[in-house]
Amino acid sequence: MASVTFSNVEKSFGSTKVIHGIGFDIRDGEFMVLVGPSGCGKSTLLRMLAGLEEISAGTIAIDGRVVNDVESKDRDIAMVFQSYALYPHMTVADNMAFSLKLRKAQAKVIQERMSRAAKILNLEPYLARYPRELSGGQRQRVAMGRAIVRDPKVFLFDEPLSNLDAKLRVAMRAEIKALHQRLKTTTVYVTHDQVEAMTMADRIVVMHDGRVEQIGTPLDLYDHPGNLFVAQFIGSPAMNVVEGTIKRENGTGHVLSHSGVRWPLGAAAGAEGQSVAYGIRPEHLSLTDAKAPAAVPAEITVVEPTGAETELLLQAGEAQIVLVTHGRPQVNPGDRVGLAVEPAMVHVFDQKTGQRLAA
Amino acid sequence: MKPISLRTVTTEAKLLLIGIPVLVWTLLPVYNLFLFSISPKESAFAGNLWPDHPTLHIFAVVFGEKHYYLSHFWLQLWNSLLIAVTVGVLTLIVATCAAFAISRLKVKGGRAVMNLALFTYFIPAAFLAVPMYKTMGNYGLLNNQWALILAMLTIAAPYSIWVLKQASDKLPYELDEAAKMDGASPLQLFRLVYLPLMTPSLVAIGTYALLLAWNEYLYAFLLLSNDRQITLGVALGNFLAADDSPWELLMATGLIYALPPAAIYYVFKRYMVGGLTAGAVKS
Repeated sequence: MASVTFSNVEKSFGSTKVIHGIGFDIRDGEFMVLVGPSGCGKSTLLRMLAGLEEISAGTIAIDGRVVNDVESKDRDIAMVFQSYALYPHMTVADNMAFSLKLRKAQAKVIQERMSRAAKILNLEPYLARYPRELSGGQRQRVAMGRAIVRDPKVFLFDEPLSNLDAKLRVAMRAEIKALHQRLKTTTVYVTHDQVEAMTMADRIVVMHDGRVEQIGTPLDLYDHPGNLFVAQFIGSPAMNVVEGTIKRENGTGHVLSHSGVRWPLGAAAGAEGQSVAYGIRPEHLSLTDAKAPAAVPAEITVVEPTGAETELLLQAGEAQIVLVTHGRPQVNPGDRVGLAVEPAMVHVFDQKTGQRLAA
Repeated sequence: MKPISLRTVTTEAKLLLIGIPVLVWTLLPVYNLFLFSISPKESAFAGNLWPDHPTLHIFAVVFGEKHYYLSHFWLQLWNSLLIAVTVGVLTLIVATCAAFAISRLKVKGGRAVMNLALFTYFIPAAFLAVPMYKTMGNYGLLNNQWALILAMLTIAAPYSIWVLKQASDKLPYELDEAAKMDGASPLQLFRLVYLPLMTPSLVAIGTYALLLAWNEYLYAFLLLSNDRQITLGVALGNFLAADDSPWELLMATGLIYALPPAAIYYVFKRYMVGGLTAGAVKS
């Protein structure tokens, strides 16, 4: 178990800088997820921690020891690759024992650790099989087993679930989380899937264009996104965003969109006349009578029932709005409705900088 | 069982229509070789499809070295074998290490070296025979079997490096990274991960180099001259030096000479199929 510290880490490929001075701490035993759109540098950051990429500037420390010039094998970390990277000519048992054999561990120790890992991952019946004889989920578990037997200070996961089908992905997600709760090993997990990040992480690092946008617990990021990028990246379906200008009168305020729709502001921050991006999550909108006071007029374009929830696509002025409700509203495309906004749940961002406006 | 459609039948028929003539065309000379070697000398040129009195007497002459041209038959066969196997093994060592360095370790300038080596193929090997003769003379290797071994290695290596490099490029790079993280040194990676996965290609290339050396005539003829040093292939050529060549002996020896390559192909063909890397990564 160990902590990990990134300080001012930079990475350049030739003259292209892909990581711009990143610094944050990962606490001992923490499950940290790096999330961001593809090309944001999250995998590169992980590979630098793994020792597979050189660190161009700054330092990475594991348990207080700077590892910039330490070889991968001496960093005491284990990695699970997106493609599993199992040795195809070795059985499951040999795959898991490989690192221990290279370390010249005693046969007894190898046997002991391997059977422990196999038991944790339910791989006992497959030890004599070859990777090609296993299903995707089983291969993924072998890849995890290979990491577990080493009993490393830090686990690294590089998009381990993106090759699995949707159902298996959900199952493996829970399995990895349960594994972490059991082993309590510091874990760094890279994904582009914000649902994975939200469900698994103790804390999330949201990355974009080689920079950290925000670090926080999943719910913290959800409830208080620090900027427009995080607001739109975290949450599914994504937050509705309308551009407009703040107008205040008689203590209440609203954001006037370019097409003249008035979006109630509640107590949210922002000065009179400021150009802002107005954000409201789909579940913080509800249907109401079109004539109700403060209702935002909208027209329903698509109704998507999923059983438990209903997703409505609406047009309000120039904005495409998504609304999620647990009920089964009796509405049809073309209906004119009113949208009720929970004013306390409104997020306001400066339109130029994208930064959240503090209340 | 699937119903056989007209389309399948026509495709099959077209393939057979091409395949059968090609097969006959290929096998005819071999059959001729065989026919000569079991026909008594008088009836060899009779043009029969099967001799009236087939005999194995000619093979007895060859195996018993009972003819002037065949006085070193067994030694020359051994020479051929020794040279071919040595060339095969040396080519494998050189080409595998080169391919590993270029493709996996990504040594700087590796690709340039490989391309330079391939560039030698722009000049036909026959044109290089005389310079090679001179070079081997400078090294003092003339009439030494190492001259032929080194010459064949030179000819076989560039193609072998290229093929093995292509094959190793197809191995997923994550395997190297996984092995690196598991604590493997480059040598351990080479021995424990790379070589086992390259086995099919290694067998193919080893066979290629071995057969190239086994079948070589020009360089063997040029670089070796002593009857006790030459390969069987060169010895066969010497049969034609006389006005009255012993055709039946030439054909029988030729048939014997052609058997090892056929056997090697047969034995190793099952190793040459791919699929060993299945299951390494999701593709």
